[in-house]
Amino acid sequence: MYQNAPISDRVAYIRAMYRNKKPKIDICRYKIVTEYYMNNPQVTGILRRGRVMRELFEKMPTPVHDHELIVGHPGVEYRSSALYPEHSFYWFFDEIDTFATRDTDPYDLDPEDRKYIEETGRFWDKNCTCAAIDEVYPDEYREHVMGNGVLNFLPVNNCQHPMGHYCGNFWTVVDKGLGSVLQEAREKKAAMLEKGLGGEDGKTYQFYRAIELVTEGLIIYTKRYAKECLRQAETCTDEKRKAELLDMADRLDRVIEKPCESYHDALQACFMYQLALLLESQPHGISYGRLDQYCGKYLEADLASGKLTVEQAQELTDMFILKVAEINKVWSERATKSGPGYTAGQLITLGGIDKDGNDVTNAMTYMVMQSSARLKLHNPPLALRVHAGTPDELWEAGIETTKQVGGVPCFEWDDVAIEALVRRGIALEDARNYCLIGCVEPCSCGNDLADSGGDGHDSYTILPAAFWCAINNGVNPGKFPGSTDKPTGLPTGYLKDMTSMQQVLDAYKAQIEYFTKWQVSLVNCYEHLYAEMMPLPMLSATLTGCMESGKDATWGGAKYNNCGNTSIGHGNVADSLNIIDQICFRNKIVTPAELYDALINNWEGYEDLHQYIVGKCVHFGNNDPEADKYLKFVADTYSESITRGVSARGCHWTAGCWPVTLNVVYGGWCAATPDGRKYGAPLSDGISPVQSMDKNGPFATINSILKFDQSNYANGTLCNMKFHPTALQGAEGAKKLRAVMETYFRGGGMELQINVVSAETLRAAQKNPKEYQDLVVRIAGFSAYFVEVYKAAQDDLIRRTELSV
Amino acid sequence: MITGRLYDIQGFSVQDGPGIRTTAFLKGCPLRCPWCHSPESQAFYKQLSWMSMRCLGLDACRSRCVSACPKGAIEEGEKRVDVATGDELRMVHVKRDLCDNCGACADKCYAEALTLCGKDYTPDELVARLLQDKNFFDTSGGGVTISGGEPLSQIDFVEAVLKGLKENGIHVALDTTGFAPWEALERTLPYVDLYLYDLKHMDSAKHEATVGVPNERIKENAKLLAEAGKSLQVRIPVIPMFNDDEENIRATAEFCAKLGEAVVLVQLLPYHNMGVMKYLRISDGKPLEATPPSDEKMEKLRDLMASYGLNVTIH
Repeated sequence: MYQNAPISDRVAYIRAMYRNKKPKIDICRYKIVTEYYMNNPQVTGILRRGRVMRELFEKMPTPVHDHELIVGHPGVEYRSSALYPEHSFYWFFDEIDTFATRDTDPYDLDPEDRKYIEETGRFWDKNCTCAAIDEVYPDEYREHVMGNGVLNFLPVNNCQHPMGHYCGNFWTVVDKGLGSVLQEAREKKAAMLEKGLGGEDGKTYQFYRAIELVTEGLIIYTKRYAKECLRQAETCTDEKRKAELLDMADRLDRVIEKPCESYHDALQACFMYQLALLLESQPHGISYGRLDQYCGKYLEADLASGKLTVEQAQELTDMFILKVAEINKVWSERATKSGPGYTAGQLITLGGIDKDGNDVTNAMTYMVMQSSARLKLHNPPLALRVHAGTPDELWEAGIETTKQVGGVPCFEWDDVAIEALVRRGIALEDARNYCLIGCVEPCSCGNDLADSGGDGHDSYTILPAAFWCAINNGVNPGKFPGSTDKPTGLPTGYLKDMTSMQQVLDAYKAQIEYFTKWQVSLVNCYEHLYAEMMPLPMLSATLTGCMESGKDATWGGAKYNNCGNTSIGHGNVADSLNIIDQICFRNKIVTPAELYDALINNWEGYEDLHQYIVGKCVHFGNNDPEADKYLKFVADTYSESITRGVSARGCHWTAGCWPVTLNVVYGGWCAATPDGRKYGAPLSDGISPVQSMDKNGPFATINSILKFDQSNYANGTLCNMKFHPTALQGAEGAKKLRAVMETYFRGGGMELQINVVSAETLRAAQKNPKEYQDLVVRIAGFSAYFVEVYKAAQDDLIRRTELSV
Repeated sequence: MITGRLYDIQGFSVQDGPGIRTTAFLKGCPLRCPWCHSPESQAFYKQLSWMSMRCLGLDACRSRCVSACPKGAIEEGEKRVDVATGDELRMVHVKRDLCDNCGACADKCYAEALTLCGKDYTPDELVARLLQDKNFFDTSGGGVTISGGEPLSQIDFVEAVLKGLKENGIHVALDTTGFAPWEALERTLPYVDLYLYDLKHMDSAKHEATVGVPNERIKENAKLLAEAGKSLQVRIPVIPMFNDDEENIRATAEFCAKLGEAVVLVQLLPYHNMGVMKYLRISDGKPLEATPPSDEKMEKLRDLMASYGLNVTIH
């Protein structure tokens, strides 16, 4: 049976620091960027981004902490967090007094740093991307559509989060080095000038110029770390540490610029490049991709040559994983509710198949999972690709890890994800090289601008809110920030006047088509401006297609492009349609008018009806064909509508269904629904049935969920399963868990994440957080320490169906 | 048309045979084991079951159950405090001497605190229901377990169901007390892959005194199954003060050893008292309660039986 080896003292030291150090806000990045923007208003577009990056690389601190073997951090202190004012900053002032004391993910802020921010921060009110983007949204949206609760575009502050959710091409970083990209950029520039800049060349030239600035900048930055190691070595009295520092200095002087020569080189180079991507944009779903594929060969070579022992390699892996974990991002209070637990979404993908379909498990696949398991780390999130040829030992390691570190890794089934990507237009061999981004979003690794999370909070489509517009003549009765009593949807009539199920379905479909059209329109307005103001040269330096085409990733330069959306509340709408059909039209227990009245009154005065619906009606999730039939309708209506959209980069939009914890937040704003949900209760989780309405056990739940085609959801689906520990004890238990998972996958399931924890344990942890510091649970597309999650999300987690005997 | 009566169907059974299984529990049993953890499995008739945790209280449901009962068998009972709201709920009490299990109250109990335990299926209906889970059997090497109660008491129905399952290539286990005419067991031979076979006590008098029937037929049927070349997974509920003495365990081990290769596994099932609360759902009485045997005791008995060359597990 799979077991954890003990960790070394230095790893234990760093881990303790990670768990005990409260993150603080570091203003180094803020200062450099603010001063550059203030002093250089004449520099715009991609050149500005190239130069700002260059400034950062030359001026950011280069901390090398005790015990570290892999270095790099976007601030001075361990676990500190950088600021990104050029995206959006006014939200920061709204919350400046509460960062240190808020419930979820608090941050310290030094008084003198706060003073500097207060003196300079208002500059950003009109100079951030957000301010510009607020201007370009059509007036018609503000006048007739805003405040609908289906989409989340607000009067102001519409891109608090950047375009994130992508993954660089790390093969270039480790196998070639960015020196080769720098060289290429210089040659392209020279060749262009020689020919003369005709037509679009002026723009292309600036692109290569920016590439030159950032690649050379990152080489400089890395060498600055080498210097710091040397400086520390000079005064170091501990001979062993001194030798390490000298070795690190030698490495940092080489990697990034040149190809890697060892496993240690590869880990350091990847970390440094990822750090550069984070400095360029934000830790907003910027993922590592197939780490074991681009680094594993270096590990295997070092193990084979005896350069590293297994223990040494495992320690290095631990330290790399802890470095990734140390990165976090200051979110606004509201955004923190979607991803509590200092999460940054730097997802690492492991396992899977190669372009020819062969299994590619290697020593590193196991080592990364071992690090997560023995360090009990929810961060970084891991995704394990599984397929028919996944070795038994890897299944075992994955399941054991997920039992120990709630939901890490999540499991993604290759057949379904690859089919989804092929339907997106990706060549089979590239689709086979997919990784997951952010939470659970498949994308071709190293050549695809996934943009799967859209621009932050604007990427969600709240289906139950659209349902309400459908039965309430375009008015969403929910109350939330920015809500309105005016119609914001189409005037599709009232449920009380509807006389057939078809009318209800037609109304819902019309609203979904209407709102997804607006979603696409607004994000496309955003993207055009974003491409102008916030290109991504650091990403474009490696992402396949950009250097070749001379186009930045935000201009559509990558080989593949995606624009992802996600939906929340499939289960509620599917079940609501089922209940309306059941009690209003088939069994005629109440009239549509009575049900409408009950909903508007949040069931008050209709307690009997409410009890009847909850207790006696057949609900979606019990493998009843009649009750389940609307799931496919709801899933297909949304996915067909959103994928019709064409993005600013020429690709079609993709559908997803993963709510993070926003099913709780948006549920709080959603009026009562016919499935028996009361006003304010959480919406259904991922693609699962409504909480507690699946009463026939796990087989029925799973078979119900499988009733729509998940390969139409190229932006990912998410399915949480929670098992009671007694159901899965021992080696036999793990085998049975695997069988349940395989059944789901072979039936068309894309992704699964497992919590093996009892509701009693969670309740105990809620009461005595001190004793459950290390209890990791899967929340949604990511895991977190349970005690760091806010209470409403904790409660939702406890409520989720516990699959048990 | 033949129908059978079930009291439950459970998917994701991980203890009732190989792989992951769906277990169909048939209602009615000729034995009356005092430790039975599924008391609702004993009677052949449908029974009114009341689960206090689901009761919303008479204020919330406006006493629908009380007014629905033609016999006046439902009255106000104890109170309980709702964990979520802190409200005190006025729960009901079923006067069992007046209740004739008609189910009128259950129809009106939307919270499903009152339910009529026992549902009738035709063989085709049950087979169709069980086949819904076939995808899970296929990946796990599992199948269907027909359990009870005593399924052989409904042999015409069971035979039809077994036949239907076999036609669909399902692995089938039959969980039986063995207390049935051989002719009934014989009818299952062509379809059953594994018998889960209970042995409670080797001494017939003690057997009869405690569970109400003697054991000769049970022992005889086990021998006949072995002779017929069938596989047996013997299950021994280990009940303190009844069958957990060394003498009985030795006798049981000897009996199993004599059955030879037919016995693929012996499961020692330690008594647990989780069924105690279930008695209150269908009656006013509680069964005898005992202290579950210790792990050490179970391990000792396991080793003792294993010394007869048997493959023994606890649970």
